[in-house]
Parts: sequence; structure tokens; C-alpha cells
Amino acid sequence: MSARYTEKQVVLAVRRLTKSRLRTFVRAECVRPVETADGIAFTDADLARLELLCELAEDFDLDEDALAVVLSLIDQLHGVRRELRGLARALAEEPPEVQERVRQAWLRATGR
Amino acid sequence: MSSDPYAALGVAKAASAAEIKKAYRKIAKESHPDLNPGDRKAEARFKAAQAAYDLLKDPEQRARFDRGEIDASGAERRQHYERRFYRDFAEEPGHTYRTTRGFEDFEDISDVFGGLFGGGAAGGTRTEGARMRMRGRDARYSLEVDFLDAAKGATRRITLPEGGTLDVRIPEGTGDGQTVRLRGKGEPGLGDGPPGDALVTIAVRPHPVFRREGDDIVLELPVTIDEALLGGQVETPTIDGPVSLTVPKGASGGQVLRLRGRGVKRRGGGRGDQRVVLRIVAPPTIDDELAEFLKTWRERHSYDPRRGMKA
Repeated sequence: MSARYTEKQVVLAVRRLTKSRLRTFVRAECVRPVETADGIAFTDADLARLELLCELAEDFDLDEDALAVVLSLIDQLHGVRRELRGLARALAEEPPEVQERVRQAWLRATGR
Repeated sequence: MSSDPYAALGVAKAASAAEIKKAYRKIAKESHPDLNPGDRKAEARFKAAQAAYDLLKDPEQRARFDRGEIDASGAERRQHYERRFYRDFAEEPGHTYRTTRGFEDFEDISDVFGGLFGGGAAGGTRTEGARMRMRGRDARYSLEVDFLDAAKGATRRITLPEGGTLDVRIPEGTGDGQTVRLRGKGEPGLGDGPPGDALVTIAVRPHPVFRREGDDIVLELPVTIDEALLGGQVETPTIDGPVSLTVPKGASGGQVLRLRGRGVKRRGGGRGDQRVVLRIVAPPTIDDELAEFLKTWRERHSYDPRRGMKA
């Protein structure tokens, strides 16, 4: 299991993060901490996400609704990237003639 | 970072606070690793710009730097831990933010991908769009068809072992061993998953006259001695019915005549050719008239077709 951090540890670790800002992000569902018996806990992925949230909030003046929109799009982008990567890997295991046929069909489908 | 934070942001030393912010935003938009997940070089560019911006955005620090009291390294961020960008976690299996959204409309295009993409269950505390659904398995059949049905295309019905029938459209030019895919005619899917496909392998029965080589039809055509020597029109079968073929004067046995476009349909358009291989057939009886003529002819016109042939 990956490392877990308390609310206090997260506020100390992430520069520019305050307790109230953290709560705003959680309320807006920009980060989704894990519920544990000892209260909420954050992962390394949450830390990285909070860094990004602070930068977007401060450097781009985004409020929590705008942040939720941006993060949702980023998550969808990663989902699409992951599936495409999987498809590319699966295709790479196929014989060259199959790859070429799929490539041609793909070029046609994308109008190139 | 570079020793000149102004250069790192691409602004003049006299730039206003607003200009500095604008320059930083532009670099962040283009180079923030989490806003440009596919760009592996983004991180270095972004970090340099961020360090420069950290120093210059605070008027007091900027003034001290301009007076030479601190250097650019003084603004290097002191971090409690090694910063990792979100993109490095984003594709890890089973993490909280993995979403299966973004593929909901793919089923309209292809039930193969519609069933695959977004179909995997997400891990973490919240699971989105993870329903039990699975594409049905493909069913495999084999079907023997006549040579001409495969060459010209046909629809044939097969009776399934579990009852019911399946109409198989055999496309023009189907070759022996090729597979015809019937979408959605395989086994039913699980949940609301789409059904699999039926894959029908075609076996082509040989034809007594026609043979197939690629997209060409090959046929051996018997001709008489006089047709071969004097030339003329003879009738030859093709897969579309009999046509007239011109035999050139003085044709030999084994000579190949080509009927363009009389073969089978090519992938990607057009048709192959029919190749007619001539076979000279002797008359059923050699009468005296023919024998006498050939003996006389031989005395004055002998020729050696085997000259230059080395074993």
C-alpha cells in the first residue's frame, strides 16, 4: 500500500496549501481523500494533485468550480491516454500486415 | 536555474509585474507537466520558469535581487519532499482518480472498442462507470462453397449446430481459407455487453475446368492442330460464360493467352485476368491424307524445336 498522509502533514508538505484551502478543494471534490478510522488520509497522488491545484488557483486565479472542471478534463485525458497506450501496445504485438491494415483503416477513419 | 530570472521568463529587466505574470502564465500553459502530459521535456522548462517567477513576483525580493543583495539561487525552493507531478500517478492502475468516462459514445462506431474502452473496473474509493459487461465470444463455423460462388459472390445459408440458421454473404473473389465476419452473430454478451461475431471460414471446392492463382483464373484450353497453326476465333469458357478468343497464327502448345479483366475481383477494385493455356490435341484418327501430307512436308521443311535445349 502506498504512503498515507494526514491533513496536517499534507498542509506542511505542499507549499502554499492552507488548511482552509485544502478543505475547499475536498468540498469541490478536486481531491478525494480516503476515509479511514482515524479521519481522512491522502496519498502521494493526492499530494501531486494538490500542488497542481495550488498552482492553478494562485497563478491562474481559478476558483474551485473552475478547478473541478480542469481536473475532471485532466482525468479524462489520462483515461484516454491510458486506453490508447494499451491499444498501441496490443497492436505492436500483432504481425506487421495487421498493423499496416489497421493503420490504413485508421487513416481513412480520421480522414487523412 | 539560470542565473538570470528575467531571461528565464523572457522579459526585460524593466518589465512590470503584470508583464512578468503574463510571461510566466504563458510558459506554464505550454510547459506545466500536468497540463502537457505528453511532453517529457516540459518539466525542466516549467521548473526554470517557476523558480524565476517565485523570485520576481515578490516586489521586495525582486528589488533585493536587482540591487545584487541576493542571487537567483536564493530563491530556489526549499521543499519538504521531492516534488512529483500528478501525471506520474495518473496512469497507475487502480488509483482514485481513474475514470472510465470519455468513451460513452464509442459503441455507436464499434462495439469492439465500445466494449473494451472504459469497460475496466476502476479502483479506489469511488468507482465510475464500472458495470459488469462483457462482449460475447466469437462463434466459428466453416462452410464449403462452389468455385464459382466464391469467385462471383453468393449468399449461402448454414444451419447452426444449436438450431437456427445463418445467412452468409460470400463476397466476390473470396479465396480458399478466407474468413467472413458476421458482426453481432456470435454468442450474446454479458450484461448489456454487445454480442460477439460469427467467423465463417470458407473452403472453396475445386472446379473441373477453372483454377485460381491469386486474382487470375487459369484454364487449359484444347485446340485442334489447324486452329493452332492457322489461327482464328475459338470459344473459351470464363467464369462469366463463354467468350470468343483469338488464337494467333502458329500458336504452340503451352502458349498462354491473356483475357484481361476476366479474373476474380481484386481487393481495392478491378479484376484479375483469365490466362488460357493452349493444349494442342491431335485428331482422333490420323488418316492417310494427313500422314502423306506431313511426310512430304517434312522432307522439305524439317525444323528442330529442341535446338539449344540442354539437359
